[in-house]
Amino acid sequence: MRIRSPKFAFVVASIGAAILLAGSPGSARAEESKFDWKQASGTKLVVMLNKHPYADAIIKRLPEFKELTGIDVEYTETPEENYFDKLTTALASKNGNPDVFMTGTYQLWDYASAGYMEALDQYLNDPTQTNPDYDVKDIFEGVLNGGKWDLVPGHQTGTGSQWALALGFETNILAYNKKYFDEKGLKVPKTFDELYSLAKQLKDWNGAGSYGVAVRGTRNWATIHPGYMTTFTNAGAKDFEIKDGKLISALDQPLAIEITKKWAQLVKDGGPPAWSNYTWYQCGADFGAGKAAMLFDADILGYFQNVVSPDGKKGSDQAGNIAFAPPPVMKEGDPAGANEWIWQIAINKSSKQKKAAWLFMQYFTGKEHGTWAAINASVVDPPRKSVWDNADFKAVMDKAPGYLETFNTIIEHTSVKFTPQPFFDESTTNWAATLQKIVLQGADPKSAMTELAKSITRNTSKLKLEQPEKKPSTSK
Amino acid sequence: MNESVSIFTLVGRVSKTVLLLVYALFALFPLLWMIIMSLKPDSQMFTTTFIFSPTMENYSAVFLRSDYPHFFLNNLLVSISAVLLSLIVGVPAAYALARFHFRLKEDIAFTILSFRFAPEILVILPLFLIYQRTGLYDTYFGLIWVYQLITLPLLIWILRGYFEDISPDIEAAAQLDGYSWWQVFLKVLLPLVKPGLVAASLLCFIFAWNAFTFPLLLSDARAQTSTVVALRFLASDTVHYGQVAAAATISALPEVILALLIQKHLVRGLSFGAVKG
Repeated sequence: MRIRSPKFAFVVASIGAAILLAGSPGSARAEESKFDWKQASGTKLVVMLNKHPYADAIIKRLPEFKELTGIDVEYTETPEENYFDKLTTALASKNGNPDVFMTGTYQLWDYASAGYMEALDQYLNDPTQTNPDYDVKDIFEGVLNGGKWDLVPGHQTGTGSQWALALGFETNILAYNKKYFDEKGLKVPKTFDELYSLAKQLKDWNGAGSYGVAVRGTRNWATIHPGYMTTFTNAGAKDFEIKDGKLISALDQPLAIEITKKWAQLVKDGGPPAWSNYTWYQCGADFGAGKAAMLFDADILGYFQNVVSPDGKKGSDQAGNIAFAPPPVMKEGDPAGANEWIWQIAINKSSKQKKAAWLFMQYFTGKEHGTWAAINASVVDPPRKSVWDNADFKAVMDKAPGYLETFNTIIEHTSVKFTPQPFFDESTTNWAATLQKIVLQGADPKSAMTELAKSITRNTSKLKLEQPEKKPSTSK
Repeated sequence: MNESVSIFTLVGRVSKTVLLLVYALFALFPLLWMIIMSLKPDSQMFTTTFIFSPTMENYSAVFLRSDYPHFFLNNLLVSISAVLLSLIVGVPAAYALARFHFRLKEDIAFTILSFRFAPEILVILPLFLIYQRTGLYDTYFGLIWVYQLITLPLLIWILRGYFEDISPDIEAAAQLDGYSWWQVFLKVLLPLVKPGLVAASLLCFIFAWNAFTFPLLLSDARAQTSTVVALRFLASDTVHYGQVAAAATISALPEVILALLIQKHLVRGLSFGAVKG
């Protein structure tokens, strides 16, 4: 096309310059828009969720996700009591339903080993599939590593492929009734011995039946992983060791026995009277109702009891009276960390909509949703560092005295402390049964733990400590 | 002598009444406690006295602010339909097993019974796969069908006993009077087994209504029933015991209402046919 006059050329150039200038403040947006969120538009995803505030946050933002990506999401939300039964059945059917599912970090070891999970590395490393702004390094290392494993029993998390990404996580710390502690001038225990003496002293502190510290006690893996495992590993004890190429239980080591003995004493003298029936629910309910003075469990369990909504509705009777402190350690000055539990999402290996599934995962583990959910939808603890630095999030968390300080103190030493292996469920259930034997029947900790270690080793010593893919072919 | 007997009888009657009253209180206390919990606010949930500020908040949370009513109706629809289907199929089957002699009769009867005592979890994986492939997963019909494993054996085995108790002479007499076989079945036999039919149907309804494993694993958002959904109130942040109690109270209503309505038949139905001559 020929330019008709210098005047016309000037007008065209001016308009062009104006458009360029007008566009420049939005350069970040322009950069972001390079990523094609619509690449799987028109797809329909099936997502399986566990009933949890983390899942509720996803459900609330499905319209925004659909608007951004054009992907339809059909979801199911199952109560936690039965969630893994349903999920395991669905994954075992290997028919691609669901496409995306919520999983817990310990269950991941079963599902990844069974070939139910899609490795995420190929997506994370592909700039056409992963938004350049995703920033995986923003996720706490210990939390990111909770979704990584090389499938070799006995190898720690943080090795091998990334199988899942975190929606939120929990550290195990000490929550206490600050109002009562302040009234009586009580000192928050820093060591395990201080915790023991105080818990024993606080029997009947708030009327008959009230007690010192709420801890779990059912014959279940969930009894082991909060306060007990945190104390156990903070003291330097280990659950397994590899000897002569075999995975051997280390629960019969002197340190493991000593910690277990102390824990059993704490339960007997300062724990809930009906301890062996205590799960997450009973511990949280007792602490919130002012029946337990302290709670040695997930930080978010104490947090939920403390919440007072803007309309004044209290999360529990003691809401507003609760504060947080790091888990007591064996010797004062020892670094305090915590065993963590992570709620993650992952892609079903049999999914036929993997591109869309990855977009879903990316959106709901990304910065934008993470920040929104942490501030507006009770997603504590958020897995991204940038969220913890966010002023609005800090303002929310300031209502829980000591929560942020505790988190910052322990996060460096917080990780999944269990050794991944496929007999996780069986070995931790036996471990909890042994704890019950020691507490309820007065069994000798040394012989009970030695017997336990033997029974666990019977299974784990048969495991081949190599990656499944590298197994020599048996075909003739 | 007479006086002492009457005092003795009186004391006996009074103590019997007192004992029955104590037992009734003992038996009904969990229900009463559930109703009290459903009327308590969360903040007073753990008080052990009967003094509290009653609230309808839990009922309003369950029925106005959640989708629980949808799943309650699902349960009603699926359970009633399952019982109806069992009646249509089971009554003739029970009659045939009671009256006719054919090869492998006892084997067939035992196979039907075995559906009842096989643990649901044992058969759930193949059923899950079949349901997913055939499109029965998360459908009302799928649940109604699978509930036959619960309701049909119960119905057939209870009714078989009733049909066996009716003398074949009655059927012959009715036929002599000019009834066709169908008329005999509908106008003579069914009225005779009515108490059993009512009792068996109620039992089937209760088992179907309380079913958990099948709706948990073979249904999702569309066809799920209230037994599974009620657990949602055990949220991870906190247990809403008041809401669980409200949901359970309402869930118990259909069974309680049905049992009260057919109480007359129920007692007769469950005792009749129990003693064989």
